[in-house]
Amino acid sequence: MTRTVFALIAVACLSRSAEAQSRIPRTGDGKPDLSGIWQVMNTAYWDIQDHNAQKGVPAGIGVVDGNELPYTPEALAKKKSNYDKRATLDPETRCYLPGVPRATYLPFPFQIVQSSSQITMLYEYAHTVRNVFMNTPHIEGQLYWWMGDSRGRWEGDTLVVDATDFNDETWFDRAGNFHSDGLHVIERYTLTDADHIAYEATIEDAKVFTRPWKMSMILNRHKEKNFRLLEYECFSF
Amino acid sequence: MSASRSEHVLGLAVAIAAAVIVWSPQLAGQASKNRPMIAGCPSVSAKFHPCALEKAKTFTPPRMPDGTPNLQGIWDAPLAMGFQNIEDFPGDRSPGGFGPAVSVIVDPADGRVPYFPWARAQRDENIKKYIDPYAQCLPTGVPRQMANFRTRQITQSGNLISIVNEAGGHIYRVVYMDGRPHLSPAFKLWMGDSIGHWDGNTLVIETTNLNGRWWYDSEGHFASDALKVTERLTLVDNDTMHYQATMEDPTVYTRPWTIVFPLERIKEKGYEQMEEACHEGDHDAAGFVLGGYQPYPGVRFP
Repeated sequence: MTRTVFALIAVACLSRSAEAQSRIPRTGDGKPDLSGIWQVMNTAYWDIQDHNAQKGVPAGIGVVDGNELPYTPEALAKKKSNYDKRATLDPETRCYLPGVPRATYLPFPFQIVQSSSQITMLYEYAHTVRNVFMNTPHIEGQLYWWMGDSRGRWEGDTLVVDATDFNDETWFDRAGNFHSDGLHVIERYTLTDADHIAYEATIEDAKVFTRPWKMSMILNRHKEKNFRLLEYECFSF
Repeated sequence: MSASRSEHVLGLAVAIAAAVIVWSPQLAGQASKNRPMIAGCPSVSAKFHPCALEKAKTFTPPRMPDGTPNLQGIWDAPLAMGFQNIEDFPGDRSPGGFGPAVSVIVDPADGRVPYFPWARAQRDENIKKYIDPYAQCLPTGVPRQMANFRTRQITQSGNLISIVNEAGGHIYRVVYMDGRPHLSPAFKLWMGDSIGHWDGNTLVIETTNLNGRWWYDSEGHFASDALKVTERLTLVDNDTMHYQATMEDPTVYTRPWTIVFPLERIKEKGYEQMEEACHEGDHDAAGFVLGGYQPYPGVRFP
């Protein structure tokens, strides 16, 4: 009897999950349609790790799996120094392009425009643009771009974006968490229903970290009527 | 840090050098001379305008799955010369300066912006006193986005059309096609609020909510934040577009005026727009400031 109940519950859960999957929007070619305006509801912009509130900074549960970042000892010292000088050293305070993955969890919305060959991410922050070219190789040779070189592919219903060719001038957050130009970000975007994307970013950077680490968060669809991106032209103020 | 910084600066220098080579003022100035014809029409705006629209009448554009004309692609505007000057321009006297150039204004017929006299005087003052906001890596506004150096990518997706530029730091517009109203007039945006619809095979975009803090070109031509821009994009053949923009701002101009120039498709297979980080690596503005020029304050109504 108990077993039957569990089995029924299991079936119910499975079918509910299948139902959610079938409810996700899809493009003409059957791929999940990520088009829309998205925004996180977290505090990772200020600190991707667990943190208490400060003046102007809301407290937040971190987005890093396991919370600790596997810095090398030298890198950890630099992170601490960055933290102490964060009010002036955070490149974002100079209105520079926010880098990846920080663009995703800025306290601003961003818009995904999807076609079969390209997924373009338009960020309200400083008109930042990110082009994800589908099923193509990275540009040959090392580039040093603020937003990197992003190449996408579908793994089932998950968009996987492989981003390389970064410079070392962006931070992960206001708390001084940083990377080198050896940064490699692997992102996974999975629609869990029509209005939520499960977002994961795996970070590899052998010059700064002793092993890869991962952050995860939910992207929420803006459903307000006639919602649109406005502008935050950072250095015009 | 320093290695990547220098690499970045080097990359930027290469990009600028490439831009200078491709967009050499002399080449640009002679663009209409070197390319007297485009899509079977004279390339000078005043002549291209009627000829291209006539040709468009007999051209059947490719279609999107929803049946609307397919304008997607990466588009270059070499004959607009990045809007060095939207009016007739004898040429910049400084070494390596731009020009000469022919006006892109097709109405009025004299090819000049129909300013009120005080506004014409203000345009003359602009070039003597102020820095072109674009030279400070600020957004182009509209219509300069469509004429700017290097390329812009048009993507049609669902209820919107995005126009994303490569140059100019990082600029884009999202044109909504779902019949929504414009934003409240309280909003003032560098790139405005763009609402579009189809008129036959022509994409019509009406843009309001512009902030009037940019120039049309490098020569101080300006608008106020009351400006409304109505653009018309029409395919003439598979690889050429007739681009038209009509400006209405009764606070600055005596009447509406219209510019026209061709957009040309980048046909290279697999062409990708790259990143241009303008503000992040910019040192040009410092030169202007040293030269005594000031940031542009916007329109000064008499």
